[in-house]
Amino acid sequence: MPDGSHRYIKIFFFLLLLTAAGFFVYTIGEIVRLLIIAALLAYILDPIATGLESRGLNRLGATAIVFLGIGVALYMLASFVMPALVREIQNLQASGSMSQTSVIVSDLEKFINQKLVFLGMQEIDLAAKIEEAKRGVSEQLLGQLVTGVVPFVTQAVAIPFIIFFLLKDGRGMMKTLLSMVPNRYFEFSLNLIYKMDLHLGAYLRGQFLDALIFGILSTLAMWILNVKYFFFVGVFAGLANLIPYVGPLAGGALACVITVLTTGDLSRVLYVVLAFAGAKLVDDSIVQPLVVAKSVDMHPLVVLIVVIVGGQFFGIMGMLLSVPFAGFAKVVIEESGRMIRRYKLAL
Amino acid sequence: MDFFWGISKKEKKEGGTRELLRCIPLFEQLTDRQLAAVERILHERLYAPGEEIFREGEPGVAVYFIQSGSVLIKMGRDKKVLAELHEGEFFGELALLDDSPRSASAIAGSESKIFAFSQPDLFAMIERNPRLGIQIVLSLARIIGDRLKRINEQLLELTKERA
Repeated sequence: MPDGSHRYIKIFFFLLLLTAAGFFVYTIGEIVRLLIIAALLAYILDPIATGLESRGLNRLGATAIVFLGIGVALYMLASFVMPALVREIQNLQASGSMSQTSVIVSDLEKFINQKLVFLGMQEIDLAAKIEEAKRGVSEQLLGQLVTGVVPFVTQAVAIPFIIFFLLKDGRGMMKTLLSMVPNRYFEFSLNLIYKMDLHLGAYLRGQFLDALIFGILSTLAMWILNVKYFFFVGVFAGLANLIPYVGPLAGGALACVITVLTTGDLSRVLYVVLAFAGAKLVDDSIVQPLVVAKSVDMHPLVVLIVVIVGGQFFGIMGMLLSVPFAGFAKVVIEESGRMIRRYKLAL
Repeated sequence: MDFFWGISKKEKKEGGTRELLRCIPLFEQLTDRQLAAVERILHERLYAPGEEIFREGEPGVAVYFIQSGSVLIKMGRDKKVLAELHEGEFFGELALLDDSPRSASAIAGSESKIFAFSQPDLFAMIERNPRLGIQIVLSLARIIGDRLKRINEQLLELTKERA
């Protein structure tokens, strides 16, 4: 058989295997989701455990201390933050009669009916629609908090369990995997894993730290501006910041909507927008250059597609994890390509 | 779970690896406890006669210690044999410093059991256990320094002979 067709058959089988693997991953989506979350968190926590090891602790002790720290943080989150968050969402649901907001909304309706007749929106009932949307959002959020208790408990047990073993035995697991690699590819695999670890670790830790700092900045800015539910807005903005381009806009938009709905004062929106722009400026010019690895830059269009696909298959969590996961895939593909060229390996 | 735990148990049972490490100049100054830490991160590889361990021109990433068998170091297109190494000897140590291309190929001369100690593992060790990491790096510097001295002496002799 000629060499060319032999190669095509290999590529065909490789693609077939990839599709089968993709289908398998999709069908066991929940487990994969848990594993991805746990692996990402283990990656972020690994330098802390390594730092403790360098102070003389063994790996088990270092992992145990990291977990103790997480336990304290979770306890504080459960005792102080969660009740505040639930209270804020309940308030959002309860805040029904806002005269100023009603005036703004009815003015807007009048304007649409008189000046924008060509849009064909005469029958629009903005006030009812806003009320409906607001109730929908808050009920959904509370519903998630209440009905999501069982899966939450499952995750709360499974994720730390996986993280613990990945942190404690990750190196041993990697060594076992490497022992299965054929001799010809041993040095190649060692080098590839090392380079991937280098880029990936910097990227994931950078993303996490950036989201955390942006969340804190947004919370502070909203608190200073006396925006109601400032904590909820800050947490949302921090998490949304994991999604480049779209995330910060979503955080700002939520803050603006909440400001209008709670105060009915359109002029305050300007301050909120300025505060978010300021926070983003600080994030872009100071935080990101310091903490985010630029080697995993992705084209905005790729980010958008990845976020849509992630949302389609795994919901909100999928949207949040899609960008770090795409960053991971990009590093794997790029480094593999570079290594294959350096080692002159034939496919 | 034996899949994961198996390795460490097996390593503890094997006394030969520790003895091998003790003979390697890179580790001769280490204590028993430090040797155990090195032993845990070594990769055990088995090679058939004629099998390539690494190829000339490829980026290097690990130093190898021969536990049993023999290794031929070959160079150039004609694969000229530069050296034949045996049990207790090591090769490829420059890969611990950078991933520049290998200057020669290493091929198993007979059925061989070889341990690999990689640059990423050394870097990770420096981070986790700086005292041990620095001791290994110092030994490596000493080995390379000695080799440089020998080469200088040989060069001096050659120059004298020509003069």
